[in-house]
Amino acid sequence: MFDRQRIRPGSRYLSDESKMTGEAEYVVTPNDVEELKEAMRINHSKGNRITVSGMRTGLCGGCVPHGGYVLSLERMSGVVGIGKDDRGYFVRTLPCTTVRELNRILTTRDFSRIIDVTPGAVEALRNEPTPWFYPVDPTELDGSIGGNIACNSSGPRTYKYGPTRGWVRRLSIVLADGQGMDITRGDVVADGRRLTFPAGRELYSFEVPTYKFNRDVKNAAGPMFEEGMDLVDLFIGSEGIFGIVAEADVYLTPWHPLLSIIAFLPTDKDALDVIKEIKSDGTVDPEFLEYMDCGSIDLVRRLMESDPATIRVPRIPNAAGSAVFLDLADTDGVDQRLDRLIQILGSHGGSEELTWCGREDRDRERMRDMRHSIPMSIFEYVASLKGSMPGIHKMGTDMSVPDSRSDEMMSYYSEKLDEAGLEYVIFGHMGNCHPHVEIILKSMEDFEKANRVYDEFARKAVELGGSPSAEHGIGKIKRHYLAMMYGDEGVAELRRVKDALDPKGMLCPGNILEESQ
Amino acid sequence: MRYVVAVKQVPDTMSVRLDENGSLVREGVPAILNPYCESALSHILSMRREGDTVAVVTMGPQKASDALRRCIELGADDAYLLSDRDFAGADTWATARVLAAFIGKYEPDADLYVFGRQAIDGDTGQVPYEVAGLLDVQQFAYTESLTIDGDGFAAVQDYETFARTARVPRGSVVSFGTVEPSGRLPTVAGYRRGKAAEIRVLGRVDLGLGLYSVGLKGSVTKIVGTESVKAARRGMKVEIIDPNKGAEFIMREAEAFR
Repeated sequence: MFDRQRIRPGSRYLSDESKMTGEAEYVVTPNDVEELKEAMRINHSKGNRITVSGMRTGLCGGCVPHGGYVLSLERMSGVVGIGKDDRGYFVRTLPCTTVRELNRILTTRDFSRIIDVTPGAVEALRNEPTPWFYPVDPTELDGSIGGNIACNSSGPRTYKYGPTRGWVRRLSIVLADGQGMDITRGDVVADGRRLTFPAGRELYSFEVPTYKFNRDVKNAAGPMFEEGMDLVDLFIGSEGIFGIVAEADVYLTPWHPLLSIIAFLPTDKDALDVIKEIKSDGTVDPEFLEYMDCGSIDLVRRLMESDPATIRVPRIPNAAGSAVFLDLADTDGVDQRLDRLIQILGSHGGSEELTWCGREDRDRERMRDMRHSIPMSIFEYVASLKGSMPGIHKMGTDMSVPDSRSDEMMSYYSEKLDEAGLEYVIFGHMGNCHPHVEIILKSMEDFEKANRVYDEFARKAVELGGSPSAEHGIGKIKRHYLAMMYGDEGVAELRRVKDALDPKGMLCPGNILEESQ
Repeated sequence: MRYVVAVKQVPDTMSVRLDENGSLVREGVPAILNPYCESALSHILSMRREGDTVAVVTMGPQKASDALRRCIELGADDAYLLSDRDFAGADTWATARVLAAFIGKYEPDADLYVFGRQAIDGDTGQVPYEVAGLLDVQQFAYTESLTIDGDGFAAVQDYETFARTARVPRGSVVSFGTVEPSGRLPTVAGYRRGKAAEIRVLGRVDLGLGLYSVGLKGSVTKIVGTESVKAARRGMKVEIIDPNKGAEFIMREAEAFR
């Protein structure tokens, strides 16, 4: 029997990293897929709405409950199997396994208690000359695989490896009424625009929406639909509104050593120019390409002064006004790649002496932590404002645009934010034309201004052919962008799919779609 | 000035885990430059003036040259690897004897011999003082900071309950007692220096040492057995300097039990 406990006010189950807060009566914590099905069956028959929760690292309030029950998958964690097919090795993992834990198991080859999904796979992977790893890096390594799949997470390494979608092989899904099904890619595909599939005793069928999901840019705005789509893709990026991921097979790729590099440059423009040149040149071929503007560098400097133990990097050079952060494969040809990088940096005021270069894991981790400290410190800051301003939540953009419109979008950000008199920092995945603009809120007035500016940004991103939610998903915070992208008809189409799978609107109410009354 | 810094390559004990039988899982555990040694080197590099040179030395297998390369990446100038099959199984005394022989023969005129307090794998913390004993020079343990002072140096030694400032004559042994959390990171220039660096390898015969004064044969201590001790408590250790953050952490953990 699954565990059920009353939720007290202020409980961790009522919030996520967006710092949005909600309310719920009980938290249900199943230990395995059978308990999960049972919990769903019982709650479905009683009419209890269920909000699914994992590691609560989301940024859009996806796991923040609006009444009803929280279903926490925290006890369903761990890698259970390893298999191999034509594409390569894959792992079978429970939904709440974190990306960090998954890669720890893989790199240390800690395969005790892991079973063969295909004969001999565990032993074969153990004997591979180099370890294999799961390459999607959502920046937040303590996020769960299930959550990553629900949001089609991407992160910095999308630059080379693409988002989560491309790495999912098979899903075990529990639907709103407790029916379970196992689907492998290729098992069920839509017949044109009609998708029909059985689950348990039921047969589900719906018309595939016609709205165009933008796949030209990094995009996590709503579920993806297309003619002849695979059923597996229905659940990736749908933020739990169609079904719960109870188990997943994700593909792996051979690991190779990496050099992490943080190049300091004099101005924001220099860093942006360096990024553009690296992309157009092609020789450097980084695995990811990130930007930190002058505000971010100053923020890190301030953090280092106030709490030197948290950011374990040396003093940032005085000459630094911005930075470019990238990883290079430390394999054949690394010297040429590095030479070309230094040449590019040299023509924009950088140098090899002003560029950190970590080849050991611990150095790379320190550099990564420095980058991660930028959003984290802002999360903490916003959380500290909650006491005096309960309605406040973090305001960070998550918009991507096509390469050719990147400059226009960057100018638009600064223009609008300066006009509104808001303080902000810009950093993130410039390699995918997807920076995060974090607004540093000081008052509720700032928060309201930020909301207005944010809407203008979203509209602009859509107008330029981009996405208002490139990787964080829609959740509850960005719901109104859906109509902006797909029109009212698109939202209505999506609603019809939801009604076909979860007619009572029991599962993750308020995510992506408005709650049905 | 000429500085000689003795370093050690160690398994990254932060990533070491035990399997069900209590044996070390070595797979995937990176070998790193001992953090105390790295911190000691950083101290020396930051006090280096124009014309000063820094040599690093380690005793270990061929693979230990990685740790020396790391030192060069961070800014050291020359590197020596003391490597010989006969050195295998050395305890602290046999290790100190090899290091002292090296110093006597190859770096007798250096201005300072620098060590980290201990290695994070063995945690013995004896080698610096044994080398000082063998060289018959003064030793300054638990050094917190070091500055150039007249013809020699001044060391602030931190003994936890008290600190003292000592005048350090040239040619002494200094061991640094702390690890800087925000230590150096190599630059691309350093990375390239490290890649191109030539590491001089010296064996037992080069150092003029007899077979019975090195390695297992020259060791005065022997390991007769090891056993894993199971701790009864299920604890977690975290280090948080800021008291507010510490309190927040405890609150968060406590809430996990609600």
